[in-house]
Amino acid sequence: MHHIRRRSSRVGSPSNTVIVSVSVFALCCGLWLLGNGAATNAPPQPSTAQAYSAPDGRGSGRPSEQAVALPPSPPDRIRVPAIGVDAPLTGLGLTGTGSLDVPPPERTNLAGWYEAGTTPGETGTAVVAGHVDNAEGPAVFYSLGALRKGDTVEVGRRDGGTAVFTVHAVEVYDARDFPDEKVYGAAKRPELRIITCGGGYSRTTGYRGNVVVYAHLTDSR
Amino acid sequence: MRGTARRLPGPTGLTGPALAVAAAGLLVAAVAPAAYAEESAAPAGPPYGAPAGRPAGSLELHPAMVMAGAQVTVNTAACGEGDTVAGDATAVGAGRFILAPGSDEPDSTGRFRVPPGAQPGTYEITATCEAGGQRVTGDLVVSLTPAAQQVHPRGSVKTGVGGALGPDPVQTAAGVAALAVAAAGGTWLLHRRARGDGF
Repeated sequence: MHHIRRRSSRVGSPSNTVIVSVSVFALCCGLWLLGNGAATNAPPQPSTAQAYSAPDGRGSGRPSEQAVALPPSPPDRIRVPAIGVDAPLTGLGLTGTGSLDVPPPERTNLAGWYEAGTTPGETGTAVVAGHVDNAEGPAVFYSLGALRKGDTVEVGRRDGGTAVFTVHAVEVYDARDFPDEKVYGAAKRPELRIITCGGGYSRTTGYRGNVVVYAHLTDSR
Repeated sequence: MRGTARRLPGPTGLTGPALAVAAAGLLVAAVAPAAYAEESAAPAGPPYGAPAGRPAGSLELHPAMVMAGAQVTVNTAACGEGDTVAGDATAVGAGRFILAPGSDEPDSTGRFRVPPGAQPGTYEITATCEAGGQRVTGDLVVSLTPAAQQVHPRGSVKTGVGGALGPDPVQTAAGVAALAVAAAGGTWLLHRRARGDGF
């Protein structure tokens, strides 16, 4: 009996080395999967390398990269190839407290633009906003924080043209210390801001702030 | 253009493709003189070719972005010289208006006043050439305040509720399964050691 068992362990069973290897590998995988599954669904956030590099906080794009301003025309679509965004735009107003209103959250692939402000491509600061997620899961600007300087943003306009913007900064702000003038203030060239939620999350208060993408007009077609 | 083609005597012996080629050729021949004629004298009918150097088919609004209560001037070169143009600003509540032909240019010009109670938003203004039948449109943006004194939004934007967060059930289940495998392997090794199979 003992003899038979010994032989079976040599011939039919894996060696101790194999069992140890598989067990250690499974342990590492299991720990990684549990950690990952619990934590990494947070939307990507910009690194400090994507922050404004100009000391005045404005006009960091080289002059040669700027395009001539377009006449006013309402936008109807936004495309951000780097993060796979291609979404229609709806008009947005202000809430009772003066903050920018948002598109209906149940429409996950819909962004909005501030209709009483500058149209994208015109001289000034045009503002686009969209949800990072809704109660069910990710939404149109989930990956906005992954944008980097130099990425392009295309805005389709009702006049049939397309305004092409180039990202010059991606920053994240706490809602309690939001730089209104820097984000919404007037600009001397055609600029675009794209805003979504970000900056950490708390179960009691939700997202702590906003990711803001700063871009300026570099081409049109 | 279609009118010209329809007036052609029907060539009975031609096949479909041959007919199409012939019609295309005739159309090119017919349109070219019409476009030239427009520059010199008043054409008999509405010109189909766009006047050189001008984008036809659009309705220009000046200004295109206004406050409620402001007057808007509307221009179009889409209609024939001498053609009356009917403007329609009912979308913004300003009713219908007429675009009169200009004295020395192909443009027709009209005006309307945005009602003082108009809501901010984007409105489509249309114009139709009475003789030619072409319809052109332009967008009018009504804002609360003039561009120079735009009201900027304030503060952060509520664009998420955290629904994308929380544990991923698939990864969590896979992680639990992998840990179970590791536990089974460890147990097996302990059994072997207890039996004296050696490490």
